[in-house]
Formats: sequence, C-alpha cells, structure tokens
Amino acid sequence: MKQKTIQILDGAMGTRLQALGLPLGGIPEVWNITEAEKVTGVHRSYLAAGSDVVYTNTFGANRYKMAASGYSVSELVGAAVANAKAACKDYPGTKVALDIGPIGKMLAPLGDLQFEEAYDMFAEQIEAAKDADMIVIETMTDLYEAKAALLAAKEHSDKPVYVTMSFEANARTFTGTSIECMALTLSGLGADAIGFNCSLGPEELAPMVKRLYEITELPIVLKPNAGLPDPVTNTYNVTPEEFADCIASLLPYGITAVGGCCGTAPEYIAALKKRTQEYLTDGVTYEVPAKSELCGICSSTEAVWFSEPRCIGERINPTGKKRFKEALLNGDMDYILSQAISQVEAGAEILDVNVGLPGVDEKEMMVRVIRELQAIVSVPLQIDSNIPEVVEAALRVYNGRPLVNSVNGEEKSLSSILPLVKKYGATVVGLTLDEGGIPPKAEERFAIAERIVARAEALGIKKNAVQIDCLALTASAEQAAVQETLKAVAMVRDRLHTGAVLGVSNISFGLPNRELVNSAFLTMALQNGLTLPIMNPNSDSMMGALRAYRLLMNIDQHAIAYTEAYKDFVPAKAELKAGATVAVGSTADDTEAKIRASFGDKPAELYAAVLSGRAERGEFLARELLNEMDSMDIVNHVLIPALDSVGSGFEKGRIFLPQLILSASVVQGAFGCIKEKVQSSGEQQVSKGKIVLATVKGDIHDIGKNIVKVLLENYGFTVYDLGKDVEIEAVVKAARETGAPLVGLSALMTTTLGSMEDTIKALKAAGLACKTVVGGAVLTEDYAKRIGADYYSRDAKTTVDIAREIFNC
Amino acid sequence: MVKLKPINRQETALYLGYGKNTPDEVISGLMDECEGPLMEACKPSYCYGVFDVEICSEERVVISECAMELTGKDIVKLLTGCGKVVLFAATLGSGVDALLRKLQVTNMPKALITDAMSGAAIEQICNDFQEELSVQFPTMQQTMRYSPGYGDLPLAIQKDFLATLETGKRIGLAMTEGNMLTPVKSVTAIIGLRDITKEEELRRLRDILGSGQEINAELSVGNCAKGACEGCAMAAKCHQKDN
Repeated sequence: MKQKTIQILDGAMGTRLQALGLPLGGIPEVWNITEAEKVTGVHRSYLAAGSDVVYTNTFGANRYKMAASGYSVSELVGAAVANAKAACKDYPGTKVALDIGPIGKMLAPLGDLQFEEAYDMFAEQIEAAKDADMIVIETMTDLYEAKAALLAAKEHSDKPVYVTMSFEANARTFTGTSIECMALTLSGLGADAIGFNCSLGPEELAPMVKRLYEITELPIVLKPNAGLPDPVTNTYNVTPEEFADCIASLLPYGITAVGGCCGTAPEYIAALKKRTQEYLTDGVTYEVPAKSELCGICSSTEAVWFSEPRCIGERINPTGKKRFKEALLNGDMDYILSQAISQVEAGAEILDVNVGLPGVDEKEMMVRVIRELQAIVSVPLQIDSNIPEVVEAALRVYNGRPLVNSVNGEEKSLSSILPLVKKYGATVVGLTLDEGGIPPKAEERFAIAERIVARAEALGIKKNAVQIDCLALTASAEQAAVQETLKAVAMVRDRLHTGAVLGVSNISFGLPNRELVNSAFLTMALQNGLTLPIMNPNSDSMMGALRAYRLLMNIDQHAIAYTEAYKDFVPAKAELKAGATVAVGSTADDTEAKIRASFGDKPAELYAAVLSGRAERGEFLARELLNEMDSMDIVNHVLIPALDSVGSGFEKGRIFLPQLILSASVVQGAFGCIKEKVQSSGEQQVSKGKIVLATVKGDIHDIGKNIVKVLLENYGFTVYDLGKDVEIEAVVKAARETGAPLVGLSALMTTTLGSMEDTIKALKAAGLACKTVVGGAVLTEDYAKRIGADYYSRDAKTTVDIAREIFNC
Repeated sequence: MVKLKPINRQETALYLGYGKNTPDEVISGLMDECEGPLMEACKPSYCYGVFDVEICSEERVVISECAMELTGKDIVKLLTGCGKVVLFAATLGSGVDALLRKLQVTNMPKALITDAMSGAAIEQICNDFQEELSVQFPTMQQTMRYSPGYGDLPLAIQKDFLATLETGKRIGLAMTEGNMLTPVKSVTAIIGLRDITKEEELRRLRDILGSGQEINAELSVGNCAKGACEGCAMAAKCHQKDN
C-alpha cells in the first residue's frame, strides 16, 4: 500500500522571523502588516524549497494574544492570508492554510477560559480567513481546545481541516491526552487529517506515528521539530538530511502531509521534498500492519475500546434514589461527584450520566455535571437522555468521544438523535423498541436493531459505533421474556456483529435478594454476547461476576486483573467488625468526662474520635448511636462540642489546620450517617441556616473556600457552594434565590480582590439584605472594610464563629 | 526529564501553618500516604532563558533580544550589578491540579496536605534548578528568585514573561485573566547573575539594608521594603513574612 501523493508542508515561521529581527516575546503576527515583505519572503523561501502548502503567519492571531498588538484579529489574519497568497502566486497549485495555534490560556477546569469562549475566538479567526484554501489547527496540547477549534472550523467553513497535536516523550500531551483519545475524538468530529507537530523530533515521534496508524483511518500529518533543543543555546540537533531520512522511513504509515516545525528551515523542506519524491517513485510496495476494526470511546485522557465486556456504572441516576434526587435539586455537586469516584474505584470503566428529574433544568444540569465529572474522573461517560437538546448540549461540552444513551426505533428518535451522533462523532446505544413499544419476540427486537443500524450507516455512522440494547425486562413480571432478551443479544452478536448493552439490574425488580438474580443474569447475558452491562459496580457480586467471566473467557489473561482485585480478599466470616476494638487515644478532657456522665460511653467515645481524627471509628459510632440517641442530640451534645474543642485548640495554636480538618472530616462522616437516617425516616431535616459560598470571578484557587465549607457543614449550616471563578451575577442570583442571610467570598490573589469588591457592590445594589464575609490569603481586616464587606475572616474557624453569631446558634 | 526528590516535610509543615512546630504522628502518617499519589501525578518540567540585561533607570530594566521590560524600584535593586538575567518557569503539570480537585471531594485532610506538599515540591524544583545554574555559571552569584508580583514588580508582566519563554509550547504553562499560573502548582521567576563573589554579595546587601539587619545569604532576603508584605503575591507562603 502506498499513497499516490504526499503534500509537502512548510517549515518554522517564528524562528525565521526572529532571525530577521523579531524580539523574543514580540508579536509575530504584527509583522503581517508592518513587515509584510519579510513574512512573504519566508513563505517564498519555503515554496522555493518545494512546499505545496504554506501556513499563514497567524499561529497566535487570536483575540487574547493580540490584545496588545494594536490591530484586530481580522486585520492581522486578513493581512497574513494576503501575504501567503501573494507568495503562492508564483507557485501554481500551491495552497494557503490558515494556521491556528493554541489560544495561550487554559480551558476550564484547568484555567479560566470557557469552552464557548474558546470556540468564539477560533470562529473569529476562521471568519477572517475566507480566502485561505484550508485550515490547520496545530500544536494543541489540550484535546478540549482542539475540539473547540475543530468545531468552529466545521461550523464556520467548508474547508479541509488538519489537526495536529504536540506530544511529550511519554506519548501524552501536557494535559494528559493520549494518541488513542486524540484519534477517537478528532476523527469523530470530522477532521480531514490528524497527526503530530512540534515538541519532539521525527525520531521521537516515530513510535507515535506507528501507533496512530494502527487506530485511525484518517490520513496522517507529521511536522516535527528539527530534533531536540539545547536548553541553553536553544539550537536543534538534527540535520536536514537526518530529518528527511527519518520522516521518509515513516511514510508507509499512512502519512499524507509532511513538514517541519521549530528549528526547521527551507533546507529541511528541500531535503524532505527530495526524499518524499524518491519514496513515491521507488516502485517498492510497503507492508504495514492491518488496522483493527475496533471502536471505542474516551475522555481526554482515557480510551475504552469495545473489544471486551466493560462495566458501565449506573449510579449517577436519580431514579429510585432519594439522596441523589435531593443532591440534584440542591445542586450538591460533591455528592454526585463522590458517587462517580466510588464507582470508578469499584471498577466502573464508563459512567452513565442521567440527571433527568422534574424541577431540574435537565440541559443545564447535564452540562454542569459533565463538566464537573470530567474535572474529577478520567473514565469516559455515557450521556443518558432522550431529549435531543440535552444530548446536543452534552455532546458539545463533552471532552473526548462519548456514548449516547440512547436512540430507539421510533422515527422521531432516529431523525433527531442520529444526526447529533454523527455531527459530534459519538457512539450510540440503540434501544430495540419503537412506536409499537417493546416487541415480545427476539426476532422483532432484532429487526428494530437492524433498522437502527441501517439508519446510522446511511448517515455515515459506522456500524460498530452502534451498541444495541435488547432490553432486560423484569423477570418477576415477565418471566418468559428473559429468554427472548438473551436470544436477541445473541442475534445481535452473531448476525449484526455489534456490541450489546443491557441495563442488568432491571431483571430482578420486585424480587427478594436481587443481587443473586442480577449476577446470575449478568453471567448468562455475557455468555450470550453482552458487552456493555449497565450495572452497579459497588455491588461486589456483580463486579465479581464480571471479573470471573473475564477470567474464565481468557480475556483477563493470566488473571492479572482478577488477582489484583482480590489479592487482599478475606472470606466473610473472618472479617472483623469495623472498628470494633480501638483504644481511645489520650484525648480525654473535661468535656469528654461530662458527655460520659450525661449520655454514656458511646457518645464520649464519638467525641474522642472526632478529637483524634479517626473517621472510620467516628462513622461506626455515629451509626450505632443513632439507634439509641436522638440525631439532634448527637449533633448538639457530642459533635459540636467536639468541634468547639478542636476549634479552640486551633485558636490557641495548640493544634494545626490539618488536624482541624481531620476532625472536621470525622464529623462530616458522622453527619452523613445522620442525614441518611433522617432521610429514611422522613423527618424534617434540620439546618442551622443557609450560607452561599463562592471563590470570586477570576480566581481559580478554591481550597480555602472548600475548607470553610466543610467546617460550616459540620456545624449544621446548609452551604450552597457555587465553586470557583464565579460570575458576579451568579452570586447575586444564588443569594436571592436561596434567601441566604450570609454570603461568603474568597479570593487568593491581589488581582482578584477587585472582583470581590464588585461582587459585594452587586449584592448591595440588588437590595439583598444578606451579610458578607470575606477571606483569603492576601486579605486584611482593613481591606475587607474598605471593599464594604460586613465581616473579615482570617481563617475557617473564624468564619464559623461569624456564622454562629449571625444565625444566633 | 526533571526529577523530583522526596518531598521536604519541614517545608510542607510550614505551608500548613505549623511554624516551627512538628506535625504529630497522625498528620505525618497522612503525609506518607499523600506522597505516593502526588509523586505519580507530578510531571515536573521547566524552561528558562539567559539574557544580557541593562538597567536603564531607577525603575526600568531592559532585557536583550526580548520585547519585555521589567519595571519597578525593587527589580532594579535586585538586578543592580547583574550582567545577566535568567527568566525561569517551572510547573508540576496539570496532573497535580486534577489530583487536588479529586481529593477535595473525597478527602479534605489529604487535599490540604497534598496541596502543601506540592508547594514544597515546586520549591524543590526551583532550588534544584538554581543549583544546576550555579554549575553552569560557576563564577557568577545568583540573586534570590524574584517573581512577577513581588514587591512593586507588576504581576501584569506575567503574560509577556510566558510569551518570551514560550511556556505554553515548552512546558504547558499558561495563565488566567487574573495572571494566575495554570497549572496551579507553577512558578515563574527572575534570577539575576552577578559577576561577584558571595562575600561581595553580602557586603552589597549590607549596604542596601544598613547594619543591624540579619542577612540570609542563601535567600538574599531583604530586598523587600518594610510593609511590602501587604498585597504581595508571595505573602501566603513567604518564609520571611513573619521576620
């Protein structure tokens, strides 16, 4: 196999301009206007050396980087395209590519640039380059930013788009993106070619090119540096001939465009041209490894291939879960995130995300939850909604390539969901139901599956991107239907050759000992071809069944995963009761003695557990105590006195912040038990009052605010945590909607104190009666007064004292 | 590849507010538990440039070949007598940010401790770099590391600083609208190189500070004016703040 043509791209621009007098840190794009001849000269030098395509001098021509340039983006981009066009005029058949580099700011959650903002900035560049022949997005290190740029390119032009990313020697980008994640995401979104540029030389990039070739059907672009730079002199170590030889050896691996990045010059391009021509005309056919037919999904850092059974965690879903519903209604992200983390720790490889609940704006919540989840967990997500607007909003903000759950055989579902799956390059679950409901017979469900796959293929979605759900019905209601489901799964495997999904837990609804039925059914379904069970990974028997299946089917070779999971396994009988015997440390004080006298040993022990920071013991005791003591008595007579004691030690400098927080986390655990109890008994929840907390606009350091939050919750306050980098209007809105009498604002840097002041002003201007308390490393009492805050808090403990004063408790 | 050494526990304790006190067994046990995951999340890297430097007035320093200028009395004081300046940027990488976000949801005490440990880790990277620099320039004396935002050196030069070193491309370091570095555990610093001995350096500092002030030659402290702590970006973790 050999390509018919290979495009020769150009070499470095920035270093050429520096050689012509551009200072370091100067703005090269300004030269498009002030030194147009020099820029055109660089283009000409590459065209003369053999380039078929030149990149415009617009690497950083975005609103952010050009802010101080004195020119608009459209002026600079327009001039750059004109310069490149002028150079190309003398070289017929050559093309001008609009060059788009990273914006220079990091996207949230790493930085403060929002995805939509990045998209707008890229769109502005693309709109300004109407006369360019094609678009190249290069040197990307953040997959999310590359997605914003590619989406902008596809939605604002019809030109071919190449996307190349920069990888480090560990085959990851700075933000952790792997080659697999790049390939899955960018090919899904419609890039015309993908590949590598910058960061390393051709030799270091060689293994990465080979890996990419194994997993993508797209043409590959390669534009390496001239080797590696010397850290002191900043000169590169590979000669033009070495450079060209190394790239030539990689040409059989699907490369259709080659050029050079940092450190390269026209000599490199000339050598490359020569070697490329020799390759194209040498008459040799190259044997390269066959591509696999694999399909997969990914986050920005982790790819999951549909090559073997994978566990999809089902717990991010309000159906039948009181606590989860409450978390959605209150916007309690920490609870939702903790559900995600516990599933991943238990072995989930994909997480289903369903946030549909009356009273919740599903679209807004879906976007928020996806963003928050992707900041914390690296497994890919399954977007679970059948509302097209929700699905599209989620697909847009998702970083990577997701699985959409779901489309079904109904016309309105097919015609609304599949085009979205195509546009955003996702994979999709196809439910075997249609206008007529769920057909009872396997053959009928299979017919719907075939129809869904045919419609997907007609839109250009690959068959292996469709995962069929043959629907597990409740065995207690339709016992005979279980066989039909299993039969349909097998038909999908054998005749349609796609993956199969099942919501496994449905099967046991209404039966006692559900896990027994679930795990038996899981094993049966896996044997029949189930590849993506949607299940509870926190159930040991379910995960056990999946792990054992992988072991027995020789998928988990040498039982590596199995033994890793059970290496510390202790048979149930021998297991010790959690925290049954732990000696109380030397933390006894007067209060402990008083608690012992008034309430008994256990409360005193809980008190001591808080003081000594033993979370497991604390939770165990709280659980036990709830059977014999009123929950509010536990809070008021044990937990709060314990916190007070720790707090006073902190104030006196006897104990330090980590110990304070350790004790707070014991109380947090105990509170969790109390909440559960209160919820299951249907009692009214007791709150000492509402407090809104936010790290102000522009500030992304929020550990201080989070510490304050933990302590306030410890004392029984309901905290509405708005997160970090919070818009002023969002603080005002939350204060108004919750009616919270106290708003806490945090800022770490001097530069964000301004937005703290503005937030306070906005709260006052809105006529809200709430008080404000401010804190942060650089704040002083004087400064707090100056910006109009009602209270200054020097640390987390002081914030609690202020809150107790305001709420009189 | 930049290598990370075991994390300095004393420095960590300092960031945690222990002052001269030593953390108890529980907390040092937590430090042990935090160190492994932190080391795994760290992908430390740095880049730098060495330039000739010229002081043009009492408040302005010009760096050769660079578009950026340094302004303020403090930086002039720092670089007086320096023929060269090193612009330096280091980061622990975005993995640490992700680890800290996760820990803040799952385990706040560990989040707090890991945050402090990563502060100590980035300091260590900077110190190691300075050692390497002294090998590279054995006859030259280094000034303290001085960062944008210290004293009257504007934090706003951060953008030009990053552009000059091309930190985005070289080590994946950028900043926010408010001039905060991202990834969060990162440092940018200016180090002057002076063609004099350590003794001469001490004498010079004594001239500036007057007698009676203790001079810590290691850190070359004393460049900050009295009261400069308020509003200084370094205030949160400065070793000298309380002195």
